Amino acid sequence: MDDQITYTQKDFKSENEVRWCPGCGDHAIMNSIQRAMANLGRKHEDFAVISGIGCSSRFPYYMSTFGFHTIHGRASAVASGVKCANPNLCIWQITGDGDALAIGGNHFIHLVRRNIDINLVLFNNKIYGLTKGQYSPTTDRGAITKSSPFGTIEDPFNPGKLVIGAGGNFFARSIDSNVKFTQEVFEEAARHEGTSVCEVLQNCVIFNDGVHNAITDPEFRADRQLFLKHGEKMIFGANNEKGIVFEKGRLKAVTIGQDGYTLDDILVHDAEEPTGWLQMLLCSMGLPELPVAFGVIRSVKAPVYDQVLVEQIEEVKASSPIKCMDDLLNSGDTWEVK
Amino acid sequence: MGDVRLMKGNEVIAEAAIRCGCDGYFGYPITPQSEVLETLAIRRPWEETGMVVLQAESETASINMLYGAASTGKKVMTSSSSPGISLMAEGISYLAGAELPCLIVNVQRGGPGLGTIQPSQADYFQTCKGGGHGDYKLIVLAPASVQEMYDFVELGFELAFKYKNPAIILSDGVIGQMMEKVELGEYKPRWTAEQIQEISGSWACLGKAGRERHISTSLELDPYGMEKNNLRFQAKYREMEAKEVRYEMFDCEDAEYILVAFGSSARICQKTVEIARSKGLKVGLLRPITLFPFPTPIIRELAGTVKGFLSVEMNAGQMVEDVRLAVNGKVPVEHFGRYGGVIHTPEEVFDALKQKLIGE
Repeated sequence: MDDQITYTQKDFKSENEVRWCPGCGDHAIMNSIQRAMANLGRKHEDFAVISGIGCSSRFPYYMSTFGFHTIHGRASAVASGVKCANPNLCIWQITGDGDALAIGGNHFIHLVRRNIDINLVLFNNKIYGLTKGQYSPTTDRGAITKSSPFGTIEDPFNPGKLVIGAGGNFFARSIDSNVKFTQEVFEEAARHEGTSVCEVLQNCVIFNDGVHNAITDPEFRADRQLFLKHGEKMIFGANNEKGIVFEKGRLKAVTIGQDGYTLDDILVHDAEEPTGWLQMLLCSMGLPELPVAFGVIRSVKAPVYDQVLVEQIEEVKASSPIKCMDDLLNSGDTWEVK
Repeated sequence: MGDVRLMKGNEVIAEAAIRCGCDGYFGYPITPQSEVLETLAIRRPWEETGMVVLQAESETASINMLYGAASTGKKVMTSSSSPGISLMAEGISYLAGAELPCLIVNVQRGGPGLGTIQPSQADYFQTCKGGGHGDYKLIVLAPASVQEMYDFVELGFELAFKYKNPAIILSDGVIGQMMEKVELGEYKPRWTAEQIQEISGSWACLGKAGRERHISTSLELDPYGMEKNNLRFQAKYREMEAKEVRYEMFDCEDAEYILVAFGSSARICQKTVEIARSKGLKVGLLRPITLFPFPTPIIRELAGTVKGFLSVEMNAGQMVEDVRLAVNGKVPVEHFGRYGGVIHTPEEVFDALKQKLIGE
């Protein structure tokens, strides 16, 4: 390995023309990922980008890294195979709310449960974009789409709750338009050992334009977004005047200095708390009562599947009495044919 | 004339389902057939006829919802396009093994793998020769027009229930996406519980008291029992071959060379026949409408009078194997096709005919 690895974003761009719609949130997310990769100190040839099917899954074509555009819903399984067969690689799985949570829901939860060291980026635009506008498993109840012209009658998945519920150890949330913040989240996810899931709220300009506007509106966003940092108080608002408290078994947004609440009452974020009960509540926070939580919500150390896999093979090999072909031949009943 | 409209093939599948009294549709969006689901969603049949429309989380879920729904003796269907049908293969085999009637629609696109979203006929093998595991057959209807997309929904259900077997409409991206005049039939009411009892009372899960218990299954661990089941299936398939073969012939009476083509390829070949006839060549077209049962007898008969067959398919040569089996070496059988989502022109077919068979 070179002593000094100095990459920039453009080292991760491919020659291919990017065919996402103008204004699509995917462009910004790609910038964040390319910048994060440049900062990781990994060799360019170590990276592999693996996707399923959907708009976001066109990603491998636009990266200069090795890539694999796989099967709808199966990227988690394919990425698991790549990582276990070649554990030295830095695997990025690019997927969407349809690919990961509808058709790929099964593989997704098992990847998370096994804790294979894969960085999974989940583009959440709450719609099927590639097939032109049908509802997805993250579409809000009642939403009008091409396949629900009178409103959906299903409740959506909350990806963070799903990850924690499946025994996941890393979950972060970001938003496409905040490139710098998203880049930082990706870098933290990549440095986490084990499966990391980053949900990025993404705007589909054509089939679900403005779906995240209530959160991103510049006029209100300071009051509607809570940026979490491990070990720091959960405060938000234009002047950091608001905070989150835990009261009567629930999270509550309060104004510091009002109704008797002081800075001491405000919760401190603990991303490393293993049970995840409060992190689960943070994932659930949403408008209008509570701001939406961004940043690394959960980051817990746990045994990593692909590392244990290699260790176990080495252990079994080391403790086996059979070291060579002669050992094998002499290991059981032998006889001479005369 | 009845209710005449200008409609897309995919929209017509939805319209036909509602009008023929279909009870339920389970599907998942995929190009080039998403309009089936979308048309059903916008038409709101659950208010009009009580028909259920559900967008599943995958094609695997769709086919298994269909498996469950079919076990209740109701008229239920799904639709997809090639990669989605591959995902359904397991469920289709189970439906055939459990002898449950249902309707599947495949609006084919180019493969293999994710392939392309352009039209193709490369799923002939998958549809007619298996796809899923085991010795089973589907009743395969190949529409060549938007009108047939409409007509085959009702016909598909009729045959599926007649033989307690899944039926499939093997369409393609051309027929699914093109708009044509279509005459819509009368609305037929969904079957009542009493009608279902009469038609499928011996096996359907009806929720009615006083009936003998039945378990829908494709499992039989005793190999002799399983062979018996297979013999029953095979007898059914032979009966289909005897009674259900459907085909259409154009200018075959005096033909020296016959094009064999199904679906949109047959539409193209009609033009090729015109071109050939205008140049004094005696060329006809045989269009199989049922791909299983395949029109083997008529091809065998024609093989006694013509000089050769050209199987024209939007694939690398699939149906041609069945044509060759029917002809059994009597005269030459050649294949011509464009594939991977490319559609041949009538002129290309004519050139291939001259090159491969007529010898110019």
